[in-house]
Amino acid sequence: MSSNLERRYRRVLRLLPGWYRERWEDDMAAAFLDSWLTGDPAADEYISKVAGPSSAEVASVAGLAVRLHLSGPATPRRYAWGQAIRRAVLALLLVHAVLGLDLLVLVTWSRRLLGLPAPPPMLATATPGGAWDVVYYVVSFAWLVIFVTLILGRYRMARILAALAIVPGLVALLQAEFTRIMPVPFGSWAWWILFNLVLVLAMTAFHPGAPPVARWPWLLALPAGYLLVIVPLLTLRETGDSAWVPDLAGQCCLLVALACLAHAPRAWSRRAAGSGVWSLALILLAAIAGAYRMVTLTNYLYDPHLINVGLAELLIVLAAVALVAPDAARAQATPTLPRPRATAA
Amino acid sequence: MTGQAFFVLTALADGPRHGYGIVGEVAELSQGRVRLKIGSLYGVLDRLADESLIEPDREEAHDGRLRRYYRLTQDGRRALAEEAELRAATARVVRARLGQAGPAAAGTAG
Repeated sequence: MSSNLERRYRRVLRLLPGWYRERWEDDMAAAFLDSWLTGDPAADEYISKVAGPSSAEVASVAGLAVRLHLSGPATPRRYAWGQAIRRAVLALLLVHAVLGLDLLVLVTWSRRLLGLPAPPPMLATATPGGAWDVVYYVVSFAWLVIFVTLILGRYRMARILAALAIVPGLVALLQAEFTRIMPVPFGSWAWWILFNLVLVLAMTAFHPGAPPVARWPWLLALPAGYLLVIVPLLTLRETGDSAWVPDLAGQCCLLVALACLAHAPRAWSRRAAGSGVWSLALILLAAIAGAYRMVTLTNYLYDPHLINVGLAELLIVLAAVALVAPDAARAQATPTLPRPRATAA
Repeated sequence: MTGQAFFVLTALADGPRHGYGIVGEVAELSQGRVRLKIGSLYGVLDRLADESLIEPDREEAHDGRLRRYYRLTQDGRRALAEEAELRAATARVVRARLGQAGPAAAGTAG
């Protein structure tokens, strides 16, 4: 039964965006009526005729409407993209952090800092020979700090450190470009743009209103990434069987493809709530890995076999993306708040 | 976490509540200092739901209207506990500083 009181309040609610009303309007109207009606039919009939939302109530709805129209924090599509970008950023930072951890372990091992035996000659790292070497070491270790800082919720600090960390790479590239010591491969620029500049810009998705990062899974991903990716690669390098290992761009493509495959069962399960955000994040990562692969193919123009290998890696990542794409499309249309179960009272 | 969000989560800590039930509980918890308007309440609930700190519990018919109840999620319970701990620690620091500053401030003033 729709009373005058309810109609008046619902008129005020028209200030709110349509997507928001679809989600909350009935709830808000019910709560508003609860705040007025007494349960006494005679009194309620009178109240319904003469009462209306107070100016403070109208102001609260108007304030909410302004905030939603200006910042629009939570359309399903916008929320899904925001979350996907944040997860893609964390995954890219994880790549940097795992590489930083790799260098840290090799340096520690080479210097026998923890009483370790001497490493195999293939794995020993040289002492930094100049300023650039020192900067490279510092930046590599800094990504570990940036990764942990972001996970701990210190978004601003992480963004500042990351912005500083990508400067030496740019200076080195520009210096090499202008001094023309040797031509800078497109791949080096692609790495800096895709894995440094884009990453820092995308870190703005971590704003104070963003949902907190799930700390432990991401922290555990660091040693897991090292053990599952770096240790096998080091073992192959040490045993001399690494000739068939793809280059960095190929590794990125294959890792994203493997992640898509691992996620596919969840993406295809209708009951797995929230899987679509991961599907979107994987598509973003696939786009970055694919772009990096395409640009770095120019390094192999002299070798048709390597070009074919690179194209095969691109096809693999495209096929893997096709597995999660339908789920990603659903994520943009599905409200994040599930419908409650209805019970009779 | 904003003060309103803190009170809303606290209102749901001992069980699911519907919208107006939360308004009443927040007023009681805050000893009347926080009186949420419906627009403000649903701005907070929307954000908390997006952050997976609350979730719908059930719907019940009441006087011809459907009341939707909300409950804390595990993440919500954890976030509330962390926030309560943070606020308690801050309060301890404030009390300690006020205690230290009290005599000195009194001396300066005198």
